[in-house]
Amino acid sequence: MSNSIMILMLTVSTFLGALGLAALIWGIRTGQFDDQSKFIDGSRYDNEEDLHDAAMMDEKKKAQEAKSKREKEYGPPD
Amino acid sequence: MADVKCTHCGLIFDESAMIIEKEGDKTLFFCCHGCQGVYHLLSSEGLDTFYSKLGKTTLTPPRNQNFEDLEKFNLDGFRNKYVKVNKDGLNEVSLIIEGIHCSACVWLNEKVLHRTDGIIEATINYTNNKAKVVWDNDKVKLSRIIEVIRSISYDAFAYDPALQEVRALKIRRDYYSRILVAIFGMMNIMWIAVAQYAGYFTGIEQEHKNILNVAEFVLATPVLFYSGWVFFRGAYFGYKNRMINMDVLVAAGATLAYLYSIYAMITQRGEVYFDSVVMIITFVLVGKYLEVLGKKHAVDTLDLLTSTIPTEIVVIKNNQKNLVALENVEVGDIIEVKAGEKIVIDGIIKEGAASFDESSLTGESLPLLKLIGDNILSGSICLDSTIRYEATKDSSSSLLHSIVTLLEDSITKKPKIEQLANSISGYFSVIILLIAAATFISWYYLSDIGFERSLIISISVIVIACPCALGLATPMSTLMGISLAAKRGILFKEASNLETLAKCDIAALDKTGTLTEGKPKVIEANFLKEFDISLLYSLVSNSNHPISKGIKNYIAQNFENFKELKLGDINSIQAKGISATYNGQKIFGGNNALMIDNGIATKNITENLVFNFAVNDGLVASFELKDTPKDGAKEMIGSLKSLGLKVVMLTGDHEKSAKNIASELGIDDIKWGLLPAGKAEVIDDLHKQNKKVIMVGDGINDSIALAKSDIAIAMGNGADIAINVSDVVLLNENVEKIAEALQISKRTYKAIKENLALSIIYNVIAIPLAVAGFVYPLVSALSMSLSSLIVVGNSIRIKRLKFKK
Repeated sequence: MSNSIMILMLTVSTFLGALGLAALIWGIRTGQFDDQSKFIDGSRYDNEEDLHDAAMMDEKKKAQEAKSKREKEYGPPD
Repeated sequence: MADVKCTHCGLIFDESAMIIEKEGDKTLFFCCHGCQGVYHLLSSEGLDTFYSKLGKTTLTPPRNQNFEDLEKFNLDGFRNKYVKVNKDGLNEVSLIIEGIHCSACVWLNEKVLHRTDGIIEATINYTNNKAKVVWDNDKVKLSRIIEVIRSISYDAFAYDPALQEVRALKIRRDYYSRILVAIFGMMNIMWIAVAQYAGYFTGIEQEHKNILNVAEFVLATPVLFYSGWVFFRGAYFGYKNRMINMDVLVAAGATLAYLYSIYAMITQRGEVYFDSVVMIITFVLVGKYLEVLGKKHAVDTLDLLTSTIPTEIVVIKNNQKNLVALENVEVGDIIEVKAGEKIVIDGIIKEGAASFDESSLTGESLPLLKLIGDNILSGSICLDSTIRYEATKDSSSSLLHSIVTLLEDSITKKPKIEQLANSISGYFSVIILLIAAATFISWYYLSDIGFERSLIISISVIVIACPCALGLATPMSTLMGISLAAKRGILFKEASNLETLAKCDIAALDKTGTLTEGKPKVIEANFLKEFDISLLYSLVSNSNHPISKGIKNYIAQNFENFKELKLGDINSIQAKGISATYNGQKIFGGNNALMIDNGIATKNITENLVFNFAVNDGLVASFELKDTPKDGAKEMIGSLKSLGLKVVMLTGDHEKSAKNIASELGIDDIKWGLLPAGKAEVIDDLHKQNKKVIMVGDGINDSIALAKSDIAIAMGNGADIAINVSDVVLLNENVEKIAEALQISKRTYKAIKENLALSIIYNVIAIPLAVAGFVYPLVSALSMSLSSLIVVGNSIRIKRLKFKK
């Protein structure tokens, strides 16, 4: 086996593994793995309706953001 | 009559006792109006898919929810304490949701919160039922949010997450990331190491070997410096406190192997030991992480306790009721307390009389009647009527507060047990470094083998003696011990607790709630005349007194056809009993004193508790009740004694009931009539006799003694504060677990000693060989790994420990 192929294989496989590791650590840092039971139980209810709910919450959030932005823009000058 | 299931809560009752309703072609059954109300609310909201998600889980039927105190959630004192305003101007609160049985409940709560206008975010943790809610205060008030949760028959308490939770969570995430990196590095290095070892035995080109070496170096570096950072930091703190701890050894061993490997890699001579580096770090790190997990559990339970202390109380000023923040209450203020509320400030009763449950303070299982002029203590609960009392202390010097402070003190002052193994291995590593240096110098100057060879010999000394086995001896055994204990429902908060527990020689046990059920049970029932059992059932259902509950349970177990009747004129007579009317009949239930007051003849003379039931001036039934020892308590005492421990029982109860229980359980040494501080004094006295003491308890009243003892064991159903100060928590009420915990700790301690002996023998043989130059570094690394494997194997044997059941 030539040296360059060995180097290439080691580099590529380690890099791919590291990508997965980085994604996992990102998930942990943002709190997505804090709730163990959610993986087992929560996913059972993860259907279309819940997607709809999530979208609704997202809209609420956006509306709130827009509102606070408007308030800032039209607020009296300090 | 057939048994049917309640459509809402899923509990099974007799059909005759149910509320029946027709909806289309379906027949609905409800066990109470609460269930009916919640069912209709959910179906009108289109949330009835909840029931299909619920499956076979049963719910608690909704209690009569009280919506009166909702206003307190909007008060400034409450807002300042629990509500945060985030940078978008939104409000944020952390809640503990009570009444969650399963994941469907979580789903339902999230759903209704999401549908409430003005709530921007609502997430509920499936594991610990804690919720985070973000809302817009212009659109919805917190009181409305709590009301929404209560309307579907759950309840919510606010808590302050800043205290401990945020920190515990951060530590856990941190460890998680570090372990992942370590495991990733280890797994990959293992594969490369397979090629390395194969090459060592069958021959390998130096060029290929170099490539593999560099790949291992790349993988090992983040493991040592990122995952191993914990040990470097620990070693630094140890150095600052002039202590050579386990962290120093791990850090030194790993770093030395790492540095030598870099040297071997660059000079292209000899073997690299990057695989040993990552293995040392990974194994020891996982052991440390399990300790962190245990601590997080304790934090979850503590939050519930602080959340039930009210932030504001009703103070009467100029005949008007005002809600005043706890801190602003002054000595001399008149405070009003309703039935069921917790007293938070000490005082003297000025108006009214009521029974008080002081069980959390004194352990006394029976309520005490307090009249005008009597002292009431904070931490007790007012059971049956509304009273007004004058504050004699402010909130910071009241008993409840002082107990909490006392506990905080004793937790921080609790001596850290220095582990023998660590101090030995601390000296050990210093000695090894000295021996290695001496070996290098003597080979270099006294023989003609040259610098290169001398260095390799001295490094093989360090590697062969790398305190891996010694370092693993304790954590591997405790890891096995802790996981075995956890499987059996015993939670050790720290690994060192196992060792301390094994060394204890006396066990102090609390009586009420620990050895006994703490709930009186009917031991004898005399039915004198025919009567409707539903009458008695309805009467006792109207009281929260433990005796009433005992009677209620007795009826539920022994009778079938009873239902709750609508009684009139319900009147609870303090410390005596209850009376009521039904269809013109007068009914009484209570002790002998109540019967005498009403001119009813009784004949019971017994040392047990008595409950008489009379209809229209004639005694129809009488019951004797007794607080019974828990199942297995006697066997547990027996096995504690056979393990060589002395047993002493501590109780706040009076002499007679203490002696009764003690003789039943076979305990010779008892101390009765103890206040919380008294129990702690007993522990102190034992300490003065140079005894190591285990304290087992469950209530707030035990918590000072728990904190003072060497090892505190708390029952999992006990007061949260007791659980928090304890080192060991029994997850269920089974008392036999106390003996099991001891058995596990003794077995683990034995394994630790064996492991230490093994690793010392190994070093005594191997080090001289290495010093003499007979061992190459690769062989020394292999034998080092082998010694670790032996230690691990010996530790795994702990799992084969046999228990009685």
